[in-house]
Amino acid sequence: MAAASFAYGAVPALTGIDFALLPGQAVALIGPNGSGKSTLLKGILGLITRTDGTVEVLGQWPAPAGYIGYVPQTDQLDPHFPVSLEQVVMMGRYRSLGWWRMPTRADRRAVADALETVGLGNSAKTRFGELSGGQQQRGLLARAVASAPRLLLLDEPFNGLDQVNRDALIETVKRLKQQGVAVLVSTHDLDLARAVCESVLLLNGAQVAFGPRDTVLTLANVQQAFGSVGVEMDEHTIVVPGHGGH
Amino acid sequence: MDVVTPSMNIVLITAFDLPFMARALLVLVVLSLVAGLVGVLVNLRGLEFISDGLTHAVFPGVAIGFVWGGRDGLFVGAMVAALIAAVVLTVIVKRAVTSDAAIAIVFTAMFSVGIIVVSRETNYVGQLDALLFGRLLTVSPAEVNQTVVVCLIALIIVGFTLKEQVFRAFDLEGTAAAGYRPLVLDILLNVAIALVVVAASSAVGNLLVLAVLIVPGAVARLVTNRLWLLFPVAAGFAILAAWVGLVLGYDVSVNGGVDLPSGATVVLVLVSGYVAALIVRLTLDRIAGPRRAAESVAH
Repeated sequence: MAAASFAYGAVPALTGIDFALLPGQAVALIGPNGSGKSTLLKGILGLITRTDGTVEVLGQWPAPAGYIGYVPQTDQLDPHFPVSLEQVVMMGRYRSLGWWRMPTRADRRAVADALETVGLGNSAKTRFGELSGGQQQRGLLARAVASAPRLLLLDEPFNGLDQVNRDALIETVKRLKQQGVAVLVSTHDLDLARAVCESVLLLNGAQVAFGPRDTVLTLANVQQAFGSVGVEMDEHTIVVPGHGGH
Repeated sequence: MDVVTPSMNIVLITAFDLPFMARALLVLVVLSLVAGLVGVLVNLRGLEFISDGLTHAVFPGVAIGFVWGGRDGLFVGAMVAALIAAVVLTVIVKRAVTSDAAIAIVFTAMFSVGIIVVSRETNYVGQLDALLFGRLLTVSPAEVNQTVVVCLIALIIVGFTLKEQVFRAFDLEGTAAAGYRPLVLDILLNVAIALVVVAASSAVGNLLVLAVLIVPGAVARLVTNRLWLLFPVAAGFAILAAWVGLVLGYDVSVNGGVDLPSGATVVLVLVSGYVAALIVRLTLDRIAGPRRAAESVAH
């Protein structure tokens, strides 16, 4: 991705993005709310307009269909939708299934495996909306896993997760990386960045810095991205004054 | 007291020995199958308002077609208007350049155009009545064929893309991320809705189409939370309501001496079914509510 910019209609949302992500590696997107983390993910998915620069996903643009796994924030989904966890995960198989065709035994196998991978094998029949936020997040990760992606996009996967769910999520992402999946994850959480990401992309409506995690995550860079010298950073989190910990 | 009298028992079956009653039932059964499928998607997507808009938008097409070519023109006019409206609506909603209010204004205007066109006709009130409320008992064999063919097309469109439509209804961005083009799915669904509106408008009429499209899907949502059960439940309920509604209209008209319009009777049976399902649902929830709360405390 070189010098890429994205916009909602005529409103520029994110400019000057320049980074690369290799198979089996992970990049953390870090920045304050509204800094363009979700925008970048949606830009890669082709959901919003690219206004400048070049983007290539797996050497192509638009991104080749069926190779990207996307884990959205769960609060964007209707909790009353009548669908079971198992059925949500099966949606990850639809693209490879093709139109009209019903899931085969192999697809059901893949769904069961994906649910085991994220540790939700016992909740397959539960209605999606009845799961906790963390379980829903893992369910959506299982959907991405079931689609056997080459690039995984995660939007704030740690929001509202307890420690058990965090550990399960980190383990799954590590395993996918070992299988050669590239991972791009937006997060406020430095634990997640440290646990799985080699590189960090700091954002604030534009690219602030990109590079190896420990080089980029300096206090000066983070203060620049968050636009405040009051920002503090410890081992685990970035503390923005007035917002409490993230 | 036995509510179903012996005469009612017989009439439930024998009423359909009459060719016009059998034709009406056939049309409604076909419509029910399609409405079951399309209507559940309308419900899952929250497209009731769009369906309402389509119904209004089709009306000037129906009216112009009718004035231009009589009963045959009606069908062509409806089809043309429906397809144009379906595509325009999809794009309007996608671009989000207008609000609900703008859509409502456009379609109210189109409805008025339809009324003005029809008002040029000599038998204004009779024609308007037929266009708005249908003539269920006087559909010709040719119209039955037309309805079946159009419904079949809608059935194929939605059946072919059913699991993708459900995916899109649940998670728009997830669908796009998986490599689908949501706009294409949206146009296909809106075209299918438009086809149902066209197929139904000559039989049950322009205004009553909405009930056929919306009520069975809503009832299915009240009855079950299981995704793939929604579709047969909605279709089954619609067929049952059609049957009961037709017999009721027939029985009251023939044996009761009160002239009950069949299309409107079917709609009232549909809506009564919805109200009954709603009451049962609310009652069950009220019984289950405290128990579930107690369980979560116990855990």
